[in-house]
Amino acid sequence: MSSPLHSSDSASKAVAKIALKRYRLLSAAALLLVLAGCSNNPYPAGDTAKPVLYRVLTDDLKTLDPSISYTVDEGVVIDTIYPTYYQYHYLKRDPFVMELSLGGEEAKRETIPVSVIEKGKTVTKQGERWTFRLKPNLRFQDDPCFPGGKGRNIKAADVLYSFRRMGDPAIACPVLSFFGEKVLGMAEYSAHLDEVEKQKQQPDYNAPIEGLQLDPNDPYTFRIVLNQPYPQLRYLMAMHFTTPLAHEAVEMYGKDLARHPVGCGAFKLAELSPKQRIVLVKNDNYREDYYPIEGAPGDREAGLLEDAGKRLPLVDKVQYNIIREGVTSWNLFQQGYEDQAAVTQTNFQQVISSSNKLSPEMSSRGIQLLKTAAANVYYYGFNMNDPVVGGYTPEHRKLRQAMSMAIDSQADIDLFHQGLGIPAQFIIAKGINGYDPNYVNPYREHNVEKAKQLLTEAGYPGGIDSKTGERLTIYYENAGVTAAGRQSVALCVKNLDDIGIHVESRVSLPNIWQGKIDKGEYQFMRYGWFADYPDPENFVFLLYGPNKRPGPNASNYANPEYDKLFEQMQAMNDGPERLAIIAKMRTIAVEDCPWIYINHDEALTLSQSWLHNVKPHPVSNESAKYLRVDAPLRDKRQHEWNHPNYVPAILFFMLLIFGSAPAASVINKRRNRHVRRSSGGLD
Amino acid sequence: MLFYLLRRLLYSIPILIGVSLLTFVLFYMTSSPEQMARKNLSAKNPSPKQITTWIVKHGYDKPRSEQFKKHMTELFLFRFGKSDVNGEDIRERLIKGAGPSGMLGLAAFALSLVTTVTFALIAAYYRGTYVDGFLTFLSVFLMSVVYMVYIIAGQFILGKILKYAPLAGYTSGTSAWKFLLLPVIVAVISGLGGSMRLYRTFLLEEMGQDYVRTARAKGVGERAVLFSHVLKNAAIPIITSVVLGIPLIFLGSLLLESFFGIPGLGGLTVDAITNQDFAIVRAMVFIGTILYIIGAMLTDICYALVDPRVRFE
Repeated sequence: MSSPLHSSDSASKAVAKIALKRYRLLSAAALLLVLAGCSNNPYPAGDTAKPVLYRVLTDDLKTLDPSISYTVDEGVVIDTIYPTYYQYHYLKRDPFVMELSLGGEEAKRETIPVSVIEKGKTVTKQGERWTFRLKPNLRFQDDPCFPGGKGRNIKAADVLYSFRRMGDPAIACPVLSFFGEKVLGMAEYSAHLDEVEKQKQQPDYNAPIEGLQLDPNDPYTFRIVLNQPYPQLRYLMAMHFTTPLAHEAVEMYGKDLARHPVGCGAFKLAELSPKQRIVLVKNDNYREDYYPIEGAPGDREAGLLEDAGKRLPLVDKVQYNIIREGVTSWNLFQQGYEDQAAVTQTNFQQVISSSNKLSPEMSSRGIQLLKTAAANVYYYGFNMNDPVVGGYTPEHRKLRQAMSMAIDSQADIDLFHQGLGIPAQFIIAKGINGYDPNYVNPYREHNVEKAKQLLTEAGYPGGIDSKTGERLTIYYENAGVTAAGRQSVALCVKNLDDIGIHVESRVSLPNIWQGKIDKGEYQFMRYGWFADYPDPENFVFLLYGPNKRPGPNASNYANPEYDKLFEQMQAMNDGPERLAIIAKMRTIAVEDCPWIYINHDEALTLSQSWLHNVKPHPVSNESAKYLRVDAPLRDKRQHEWNHPNYVPAILFFMLLIFGSAPAASVINKRRNRHVRRSSGGLD
Repeated sequence: MLFYLLRRLLYSIPILIGVSLLTFVLFYMTSSPEQMARKNLSAKNPSPKQITTWIVKHGYDKPRSEQFKKHMTELFLFRFGKSDVNGEDIRERLIKGAGPSGMLGLAAFALSLVTTVTFALIAAYYRGTYVDGFLTFLSVFLMSVVYMVYIIAGQFILGKILKYAPLAGYTSGTSAWKFLLLPVIVAVISGLGGSMRLYRTFLLEEMGQDYVRTARAKGVGERAVLFSHVLKNAAIPIITSVVLGIPLIFLGSLLLESFFGIPGLGGLTVDAITNQDFAIVRAMVFIGTILYIIGAMLTDICYALVDPRVRFE
């Protein structure tokens, strides 16, 4: 019984030894193969040596529909696909300069009398007629929605089609309120479509709109008639909402237009992979467009005019990688696989040295650091309808002024924005006409003593209500559900506690919180505003009485004097007279203090040494066509920076092999012991 | 067996309806159509008119009972509809995402199983020796590290310092392995400690049984004892813990996919809850329930396959 067992055991041991040797050889070969194939390049071989721009998006885009999209991330992609009549000069700032894009000539603005129905009576008002003429040789991108798949010539009717689609209530265009009631007949048209859709019928975009007119003699000319002067229409004609839209695309793709854009911009969509990437490629039908030949002072020295007069776009492809985690995108940037990166809390310490300059590590790699002031404002807002913090009596004003003086904006900027940001003195952001860098708001100085004094004058000495003897409690409605949000709320609570005001934080999810703000169910809140266009009107209208909720005036502030001045300045062109009116409005709003102005954002952007012509624009999102990539340099740097280091892997496997030797010895000892014992037993 | 499976399938219908009803009730307890509209409309401050239009367009104006009936009918027909957020076809999204999630999940699952069982066998075989001591220390150490640390350290060491694999991204086809290498290694190492300890315990329990002593007494080699007898008998508890992880293979891993840029289904449910995309939430809950039911049935089938004492009744 024992011998067959022994013989088979010996044979199996011999086989096992051979197998083990083969296994080791195979393992070593596999390891070498795997190591040889190792590379951390996330792109197909050779791609980064081509003129491709690599950018990062932090999440999927909800929509690429130009009539609906309203976020900056979406704008970055959409604006390169859907150009508009006007565009912002890429280099000129302060003031921002607008230039023709699809427009063939400057719009003609005429004042005309218009008849409108107000309170059931027909009245004649001063209106405006704007005449636009498109460049005649524009074409849509090639797409299966067109006969033969070839993009057709763009005509004036395509721009007006965009307006008609915006007027459709089912589209829920977010900027319709800007002009919907100003274009003659638009309100009636929207009401008509609403009725049609209630009856489950298809909307009829051919229904007449008095204020949208085609020229019977010229297919490239169109007119927009407004029931009031509205110079801001020029800015709207630079927003993607007013891009020419092909009815063929809308009819063919319907709701899928959100994922199948058909435009006439420098780029067209080639790939849209959720959670992965968005790829745009050069549009062969793009109009003749050239890099600016002049810029702002200092641009030539900064090398921003090296490509002056070159045909745009300067890259063949733009790839937006969707990377949700800041750590990941930052590491990819450091490896050279992303061309640009934002400076955030994740990388601030690594990027910025103690002297507030680019760190030596980044400088040695030729990385550029650019600072941009955003056209926005953050503020704490009071609900002006609230019996405690609202109202317009001197006591109410003093209470708000006291709270304003207690809030430390600089601490907010230092703690939560890495010191980046401009403490706001008024509503208008830097770079916008009406922003005065020398203006100091008397109630925005952080001064606890003065704040206490004002609080006493308001009837709350030491924060105690002199009528009831109870401590003043303010309810702070917020959406601080994240760690940073809670810390920000805590700073506000502490600031107001310093003057004796007890602040109760009421936290909700963002959309629930938004609902409370919209319904006026709050006392005190924090909010922000990003400009749609660089006109002071787009800021000061936030405090215009008739704009109260559901309009953009979230504080429900209403001061007839301010409103009158707003109506005056709204229709004016920029100039000293307009500035004087804005200054008067500022005085009124600062004294009434419906807001506590916190800051205007500043952003830092990093770009690799091989990326040229980088000059972030606070309003325009169309930068991709101006950027140039030195692809050979990028390829070279990527190879230099990304040599795989095989030594640790080899050492690790050697350690495993040698480390397992004592274990093998134990196995042998056991096996021998077992064999002896079993042999003895059996014998 | 067929009868048993059919009976189990019939039992799953009330489970599916119950889970969907619970989801439906919970969703409406924490959210309202108005809030959903606000969340999903792109305007800074949507007008009441726009909110009403959105609610009507998405069918949330209908009575709750009617909504639930419609949802259940559609779900049982596997017609998931369109996302409330971006109008994307949910079935298409699921098909697109299931591939990368499945690739990552299957690779991580298979490799984890082989690695943990191997280490558990080694630890059990060398019980009481320095090898066992070292593996115990390693297990406790691996269990003590937070999951995020594995991800960040894995990216940092293997991707950034050693530069063996891309930090993030994905391509379908044969190049996918390059992008899956890092997350799979992270998934395997992060799960190693706990599973290794658990399986070692199962194996040791079996090794102390009478039949093992009998086998040894009859002269069966240690390797044969371990693989032919101990491992087979310890398979039942191992299968129980392993099969329950199968649904996660297809539902994806939120953190791994998010950090490594894998376009799977990992973040889909969480994103849908955050964005109040009820259409996706109900579809994912339904699919998740089905996968768990299938997982439980597979467990039963596996019991019968590995243990002749188990019979379907």
